[in-house]
Amino acid sequence: MAEAMVRLEEIHKRFGDLEVLKGVNLDVAKGEVVCILGPSGSGKSTLLRCVNLLEPPERGEIFLEGHDICKGPGSGTGEASWELDFVRQRVGMVFQQFNLFPHKTVLENVTLAPRQVLGKSRAEAESKAKALLERVGLGDKFGQYPERLSGGQQQRVAIARALAMEPHVMLFDEVTSALDPELVKEVLDTMRELAGEGMTMLVVTHEMGFAREVGDQVVFMDGGVIVEQGRPADVLDNPREERTKKFLGRVLER
Amino acid sequence: MISKTRLTASAAVLLVGIVSVVAIGCGSSSDSSSSTSAGGGGGEALTVGSDIPYPPFEQGKPGSYTGFDVELMEAIAGKIGRTAEFQDTSFETIFRDVAQGKFDAVISAATITPEREKAVAFSNPYYLSEQAVLVKEGSDLKSLEDLSGTTVGVQQGTTGQELAKEKADASEVRPYPEGPDAVNALKAGTVEAVIIDAPVAANAVEKSGGLEIAEKVPTEEEYGIALAQDETGLLDEINQGLKEVEEDGTYTKIYEKWFKLEPPKAIFSASEAAE
Amino acid sequence: MSEFFHQYFDFHIMGAHFSEVLDGFLKNLLLFAVVVVLALAWGLLLALLRQLPGKKLIPIRGLTIAYIDVLRAIPLLIIILLISGGIPYLNFLPKDLRIPQWFGQPDPFWYGVLALTLVYGAYMAEVYRAGIEAVPRGQIEAARSLGMSHGQAMRHIVVPQAVTKIPAPMLNEVISLLKDATLVSVVAYGESVLVGREVLAETFNSSAVLLAGLMFLAITLPGARIVDKLIARNQGKITRGAHIEVA
Repeated sequence: MAEAMVRLEEIHKRFGDLEVLKGVNLDVAKGEVVCILGPSGSGKSTLLRCVNLLEPPERGEIFLEGHDICKGPGSGTGEASWELDFVRQRVGMVFQQFNLFPHKTVLENVTLAPRQVLGKSRAEAESKAKALLERVGLGDKFGQYPERLSGGQQQRVAIARALAMEPHVMLFDEVTSALDPELVKEVLDTMRELAGEGMTMLVVTHEMGFAREVGDQVVFMDGGVIVEQGRPADVLDNPREERTKKFLGRVLER
Repeated sequence: MISKTRLTASAAVLLVGIVSVVAIGCGSSSDSSSSTSAGGGGGEALTVGSDIPYPPFEQGKPGSYTGFDVELMEAIAGKIGRTAEFQDTSFETIFRDVAQGKFDAVISAATITPEREKAVAFSNPYYLSEQAVLVKEGSDLKSLEDLSGTTVGVQQGTTGQELAKEKADASEVRPYPEGPDAVNALKAGTVEAVIIDAPVAANAVEKSGGLEIAEKVPTEEEYGIALAQDETGLLDEINQGLKEVEEDGTYTKIYEKWFKLEPPKAIFSASEAAE
Repeated sequence: MSEFFHQYFDFHIMGAHFSEVLDGFLKNLLLFAVVVVLALAWGLLLALLRQLPGKKLIPIRGLTIAYIDVLRAIPLLIIILLISGGIPYLNFLPKDLRIPQWFGQPDPFWYGVLALTLVYGAYMAEVYRAGIEAVPRGQIEAARSLGMSHGQAMRHIVVPQAVTKIPAPMLNEVISLLKDATLVSVVAYGESVLVGREVLAETFNSSAVLLAGLMFLAITLPGARIVDKLIARNQGKITRGAHIEVA
């Protein structure tokens, strides 16, 4: 069996007195799209942010392409430097609030990290950036500032920006939740294409349709643990657990 | 955590505010009681302004001021049936203040000068003085002439400052708010010499250590008690009081206590001659 | 009542001593100009030190915070007196450092520079901090997620955005500095207030002091107006949703 691209073992995370992750285990294979669902407060966003060490876990191991990126139990509160760089360059993240840099143009947003972190030349970074922006359908927006773009366009720039670092894994944290409904489709389409190209993706989302059509694995979280996981058809159409049924019932009523 | 810190901070500010209001309220009503203990004859209060500290003429803390000027004024007040109550004030405004009636009188090692006589009236001279050049022990500066090109410290508004400007040819004359500030600057080394009243210099040498007087400059200065020009009645009384204090030996006693010397004859005749 | 006006508005005295007071005022401006540059730089450094992340750097953050709190808590006048009264006695330093006479400026000038820089650096650090904290957290998260180091994130993303939120409150501090610099008169630096008091002692009249005040007014009033305009302009930008322009 191929080694997992991302392996999470017994992840525990607390914020102050509140334990948010209570022992989560998850394997993500290369090229797999894993959709994570759950009510708010279930810990799904936190789990995602553990993978790129934005929120290092207190306990547990995280393996990225076979490398342990936490230095072992109990070390999660600090930042291990070379593992951190390794992680952040291999793992791209797209945020609910886009977080584009408002004082830089669209093109600059995409070229900044490749130039500063990977040391690419301006020409190299720009040509790659332009290709990516065209791929997400924004080839005419290079010189614009983010504030001029719609939400959907901004999010697509954010995806291009993350892809510019040539990550092996992409994390999507409810990336359509802040968008007007008519703009959601363009972003989901971009993600669908990305999945089709074989990108390993962890997607926290409420978009059941996307999970069903694009996801290889669906994970349902509640109260800091994984309640149920499996193929989309299984989890979404025939949930076994009560909590899963309740959640889906509420969501699908919308 | 933020709200707790804010709360403590607000409480602190409130407390300070309340304390200040209370203090100001108390202060203004007891302003006239920032006085010396034994004031004199137990009669009506005589408010006396003085720039404190300026040892050995005036020094000490509110309520227990002492010094040559202080004791002399108390003795004079006693002779005219009044009680002297001292108030600390800054020297550069002292003549204007007494001219405007903020005090009844001013005694503050103040030299009688023609400029000052335009603004205030002076009593008969009560002290003969001169200036001194004060330096660090072992300094190369041995006279007023040696001060050429040096940095000289003085007290703002004093005759010492005038002397420094006119005669010392200093590269910089630095005016400090208080006499002792200039002496401290000398000790620290930020000025090379200080020009100040000779008795004050002598006091500094004795009390401080590490200082010496390079040269005394006889300026034939006379100190007087300053009053508003229209207080002619009070002026006569003070001159009378001064004369009596000189005649009955009190003056000599106070003088010897603070200067460890006999008072010069000239001071007694100065009182006589001025009449 | 006319005596009151005479005390402060004696134009004859103002005229006779105008160039003296002006010379003193220029000394105020010189001191101010030197300190402003130093304090802005020192304040920025303090603000950045205060920001350093990670467990290992807690001592640095702690020291910086303590410095900022203490220097804002002790009255400036006391700091000036402590520095000018204490530094000459630091015998392990050479005389040139203890009693500085650099560039033709006497030691009270340099003590003033040191005291004002130490204190205003602390105030300015807090202005920078507010600017930095006003930058949404997501910006740093995005930058770090892309692999940028803390230093790179600060330099390219946070500080450029923080800088636009800083001018208005910073200008308030700067104006405050111009006024507070007069305190150095207490250690006999010949600036305008000292000159005013000299004239006061000589003439028994406060008009020269008022004159000094008027000179300050000539600079600080327009300054305050500029601050108001800057605040209004930035507010307008925020409400219209314009991107904040950074050079």
